[in-house]
Amino acid sequence: MNGLETSATSTSSRAEEVFQEHRQGVLARTDRLMAVLMVAQWLFGIVVALTLSPYGWEGRIKTPHVHVYAAVLLGGAISSLPVALALTRPGWLGTRLVVGVAQMLWSALLIHLTGGRIETHFHVFGSLAFLAFYRDWRVLLPATIVVAADHLVRQLFWPESVYGIANPEWWRFLEHAFWVVFEDTVLVIGCLEGVKEMRAISQRTAEVEALSNREKEKSAELDRALHKIQQSQEALVRAEKLAAVGQLAASVGHELRNPLAAVRNANTYITKKIAGQGVGANLTDPKIKQFLTVIDREVSVCTKIIADLLDFARERAPVIQPCPLRPLVDDAIAVLPESKTRIVNAVPEDLPVPSLDRDHFRQVLINLLQNAVEAIPTDRDGEVVIRAEASEGELWRIIISDNGSGIPEEIVGKIFEPLFTTKSKGTGLGLAIVAGMIKAHKGSIRVDTRAGEGTRFTIELPSQPVFNAA
Amino acid sequence: MQFTQSSLLERLREQPQVAATPKRMGRVCCDFRHLVRRRMGVGMPDSISRRLRWVWGVAGGALWATAVAGGVVLLWRYASTPGLIATPPSSWPAESTIVRASDRATVVMLAHPHCPCTRASMTELAVLMSRLRDRAVAHVLFLLPQGAATDWEKTELWRRAAAIPGVTVHSDVAGVEAARFHAATSGQTVVYDGAGQLLFRGGITGARGHEGDNAGVERIVSLVGSGTADRAESSVFGCPLQDPLAGAAIVNQGEP
Repeated sequence: MNGLETSATSTSSRAEEVFQEHRQGVLARTDRLMAVLMVAQWLFGIVVALTLSPYGWEGRIKTPHVHVYAAVLLGGAISSLPVALALTRPGWLGTRLVVGVAQMLWSALLIHLTGGRIETHFHVFGSLAFLAFYRDWRVLLPATIVVAADHLVRQLFWPESVYGIANPEWWRFLEHAFWVVFEDTVLVIGCLEGVKEMRAISQRTAEVEALSNREKEKSAELDRALHKIQQSQEALVRAEKLAAVGQLAASVGHELRNPLAAVRNANTYITKKIAGQGVGANLTDPKIKQFLTVIDREVSVCTKIIADLLDFARERAPVIQPCPLRPLVDDAIAVLPESKTRIVNAVPEDLPVPSLDRDHFRQVLINLLQNAVEAIPTDRDGEVVIRAEASEGELWRIIISDNGSGIPEEIVGKIFEPLFTTKSKGTGLGLAIVAGMIKAHKGSIRVDTRAGEGTRFTIELPSQPVFNAA
Repeated sequence: MQFTQSSLLERLREQPQVAATPKRMGRVCCDFRHLVRRRMGVGMPDSISRRLRWVWGVAGGALWATAVAGGVVLLWRYASTPGLIATPPSSWPAESTIVRASDRATVVMLAHPHCPCTRASMTELAVLMSRLRDRAVAHVLFLLPQGAATDWEKTELWRRAAAIPGVTVHSDVAGVEAARFHAATSGQTVVYDGAGQLLFRGGITGARGHEGDNAGVERIVSLVGSGTADRAESSVFGCPLQDPLAGAAIVNQGEP
């Protein structure tokens, strides 16, 4: 048996299961409904008896009418078993067969209590329709038998009570039963169609369930695959981190090795001089002074490398406070070493005061300005311009543009990566630090560059509370 | 030995407290439940338990069927048992205060104003009068027993009878007219022709308080129309017109 056949068999068996559940539910619900109907008919019968025939009379003497006893006792007896079965054995075949019998007995009793009114005879046909709620044609069988038996027995013993004449034809009970059978025929067809529909619904339900299960399995497989991908990604990230740590260690080692080598050479020379001349050594040797300067300069380089590294690694949360931008730019320009490049602070004096971390942004501006200055070839004059614009409710923009040599297209995508540098003496952390700090401000930075014409960095910060300049 | 109320109370206090205290009631209920569970086979092996439940189920079903069938049969018998049928005078009683029609048939119905079974007789009287049209007039005499309250007879039945075209209603004080027509059962109907000769006696319902086709109506229509019918009488169903033990032997009992 192949997989397709197995699946079809399983769907059929599930469809049968759903059908049985549905059918049992319908039967149990109808049993309960009929139990309520039985009690309601009992109460109605008592009310009818008390209203229409409360007393029987003999001259001036009245006694409770037989109909009252019949409604209370016979009605109670008729309803008792179907109600008990509906409560204790809902859905059982015997329960609904008893209900069918009892319902027809109620028709007979109500017809009797209402004085044989023709209108009450409709109760018979209404009851059959009620019984059809079971969608089980077998229930109609005992009900019809009760109707036929009622007419047959009365025809045999009390013919006038039902046919109005003393000697009816023998087949008269069949004439009455015929109309019941006529309705039965319609109801049986309805029951069979109902069952057919229930089966069709069950089949569809089973198919939908099967589809849903298959979808669930697929979804679970996708989840598992996604989980594996996540695990792979995490492993990759870990590996990248390890690689980055290794790269960082190598880069830092490389960057520190050169200045430390210079420091060691200078130190060796000075040590030899002191060792060769003893305690009274003459330290006026101009090379000693030169080497001490070298030591100081290279130690500064080492300090800067370590400071950049710490800035990159610390990732301190920004302390947001109102910070006028123009003075901050002036402050950053002042830190830069002397050069031929003209640096123009074009931040408007009346620019509203942004809220940002002053130290972070000072570092951002220093790094970007230093890069811009260094991007300008030494053989010509250059210009770096810092502009800013803002309006209430919109993004802040700080633009730093230069007319340097631009950034080659192939490396422009890597400039914000840590440890990426094109300088002979760079750590590759400057722009990475800038990107990290701007990200901490929930802002963004983008770069527009054209080879030989210059570069423009645009920082965009989200709208923040704006303070008027003092 | 005589007991005063206080001495009785003292004696009752002296009795051991075996009355149905809540605790004792609880034990009784528990015992009863235990008995029922044991009878139903609870706690017994499955096969025995099933068999016992089946036996109890069949017994219960049979009991129910017997009770219901018995009740239905009793009700049928009650509904189909006729009352006392009158043997009225073969000629119109001269002493009657009711004016007999000389040019058509006269229908007289004796009725108990409170009898619920007579409601069906009124329905059938309406049917009868609509079928007879102007070939008959009808009088309905409602019993007003001696000593009854004023308007005792003016019931819903009175109003229904009065509303039937061709019907005149009368109070039959002390049942004098009922006695003249020898009527003993509510719904008793007698029909006399224009010459004052008795055409029909009996009831016009098929069973007690039961509307619908019946032999009485058919026979009256036939007798008034053609002067012939298979029989000139029918069973009468209704409440007795007289108090128990008050009547004289003026009637026959059972089927005519």
